[in-house]
Amino acid sequence: MNVLEVRDLATHFFTRDGVVRAVDGVSFDLAAGETLGIVGESGCGKSVTALSILRLIAPEAGRIVGGSVRFGGRELTALSNEEIRGIRGHEISMIFQEPMTSLNPVMTIGTQIAENVAQHWRVSWRAALDRAQEMLDFVGIADSRRRLGEYPHQLSGGMRQRVMIAIALSCNPKVLIADEPTTALDVTIQAQILDLMLGLKEKFGTAIVMITHDLGVVAETTQRVAVMYAGRKVEEASVERLFARPMHPYTRGLMRAIPHLDADAEIAGRRPRLHEITGIVPSLTRPIPGCAFAPRCAFAVERCRAERPVLEAWESGHTAACWEVARVLAAA
Amino acid sequence: MSAVIEDVTASRPSSLEALGHALRRNPTIFIGATLLALLVIMAAVAPWITADPFRLSPINRLRPPSERWWFGTDQFGRDVFARTIHGARVSLVIGLSVAFISSVLGLAIGLVCGYFRAVDAVVMRVMDGLMAIPSILLAIALITLTRPGLGIVIVAIVIPELPRIARVVRSVVLSIRSQPFIESAVSGGTGDGMLLVRHILPNTLAPLIVQSTYVCASAMLIEAGLSFLGAGVPPEIPSWGNIIAQGRTFFQIAPWSILIPGAFLALTVLAVNMLGDGLRDRLDPRLARRM
Repeated sequence: MNVLEVRDLATHFFTRDGVVRAVDGVSFDLAAGETLGIVGESGCGKSVTALSILRLIAPEAGRIVGGSVRFGGRELTALSNEEIRGIRGHEISMIFQEPMTSLNPVMTIGTQIAENVAQHWRVSWRAALDRAQEMLDFVGIADSRRRLGEYPHQLSGGMRQRVMIAIALSCNPKVLIADEPTTALDVTIQAQILDLMLGLKEKFGTAIVMITHDLGVVAETTQRVAVMYAGRKVEEASVERLFARPMHPYTRGLMRAIPHLDADAEIAGRRPRLHEITGIVPSLTRPIPGCAFAPRCAFAVERCRAERPVLEAWESGHTAACWEVARVLAAA
Repeated sequence: MSAVIEDVTASRPSSLEALGHALRRNPTIFIGATLLALLVIMAAVAPWITADPFRLSPINRLRPPSERWWFGTDQFGRDVFARTIHGARVSLVIGLSVAFISSVLGLAIGLVCGYFRAVDAVVMRVMDGLMAIPSILLAIALITLTRPGLGIVIVAIVIPELPRIARVVRSVVLSIRSQPFIESAVSGGTGDGMLLVRHILPNTLAPLIVQSTYVCASAMLIEAGLSFLGAGVPPEIPSWGNIIAQGRTFFQIAPWSILIPGAFLALTVLAVNMLGDGLRDRLDPRLARRM
């Protein structure tokens, strides 16, 4: 059963230089208890997609111009502001990239967790604080009673992200949207935080949308992956299939860009060059007639520049938007 | 499930130790606060430690400082010590009430303007307009319209000082608004009112306190200026400005009746400014980090 169904979501920003089509027709489903990865470079529309689901786009900057977001039978794009506030932090929660600045510096962490609980569950402050302490225990913060009264600056980055997770999960949400949750953390802490999120997901049955540019995180944590490029989904598959047989040239480029540690080569002093995807993400202010990736693509042919590829299921449960999938696979 | 995080912060020092530490790090706060406290105590107990500041004694006029009249007497034989100490009351009352009233109003205006952008364009232009009014002219105009008194002086000083507070609060709100923790509070379903009062307001308090000390100091100076010009508190009330104004004709014979209240005014303003500077260093994280 799907808890979240996103269909043809389009979010545009209205700037002085024109309309930026940051998200331009993205669709995906999220099953209960599932972890879906959304990957792509900076500026490909991952974060805007996440923010659009909870209608967190600043109204003076941009708005959702089309598509639907269905959550448990309700159409989120059509709810009143009051109703959407009842869903934020309660049924759908969000964790952001910056644990150092995502907590209010002048409020104790206990207050910040309890406030979310009291607001959505309409319980007494006492009960909310008890829940806050319980959440700190769940996220593995020792001496939780004392920590409740501490301020964010007294905690390390990893602990702050734990607190953010505690706030996000405090009301037992059905969906947790994690926008680059580990990007700002030390590599050693990243694994701890990911383990914690997966552990709590099992415990609470929360479905997770994991937004990241780190394919390592995707491989470790997700079951299904959607690859985004220039505001659109270009490929979607189970994580095993995606890594075994990437179909879209962009996905291949991302995978080649992962640095590998080759010990023999290091010792011999022949450090291999890192791969990059040449070129940059195209400007989204003008409509792109063909495939948005064509200018950077080694497989591009005339048709790619003229006609926009459609998402097609090439194998069961593996879709890609590319005219040249056969050639891409043959080149592997 | 991952391992439990170890406690990394050291145990907290007692509040007394913390106070001592803060004083050593911030001598300006300490000196400013002590001076100000002494002045406040002095003003509070004025009626019990001085003679009657209104009592005329023509026979003893223009006496230099002596054991009987510590600060001498003025041209009507009034005790300058009694008048100076009582004058502290006027200055402190005006300084503190102007600071308080303009902080409360400025905070409200700044919060609303910083948060609701539609209000901002209109209200801040009005604030710019208020800022352009010289307080001395405004006070003279207000006093010609009504009767002179403490209240009208406070109003006359609050009006031009108000925008200074509102601007500071507004700019802080604008920068706080774009902080990730506000985004994360919104993503948790926090509404506008709650966001303003619980998340934004507490973050504006530190700069607000600092700014209000400066307003307090400048209010005291403006009051003295107004009284000196005869547009301030009624001349029979011993305010420092009034004492200086009345003493100026006899400056060459009795300089004490100007120099002493002048020195008190300077000292008080200095104390308030030191307190403000110290608090700014302590509360402004950008400056604090550099130390």
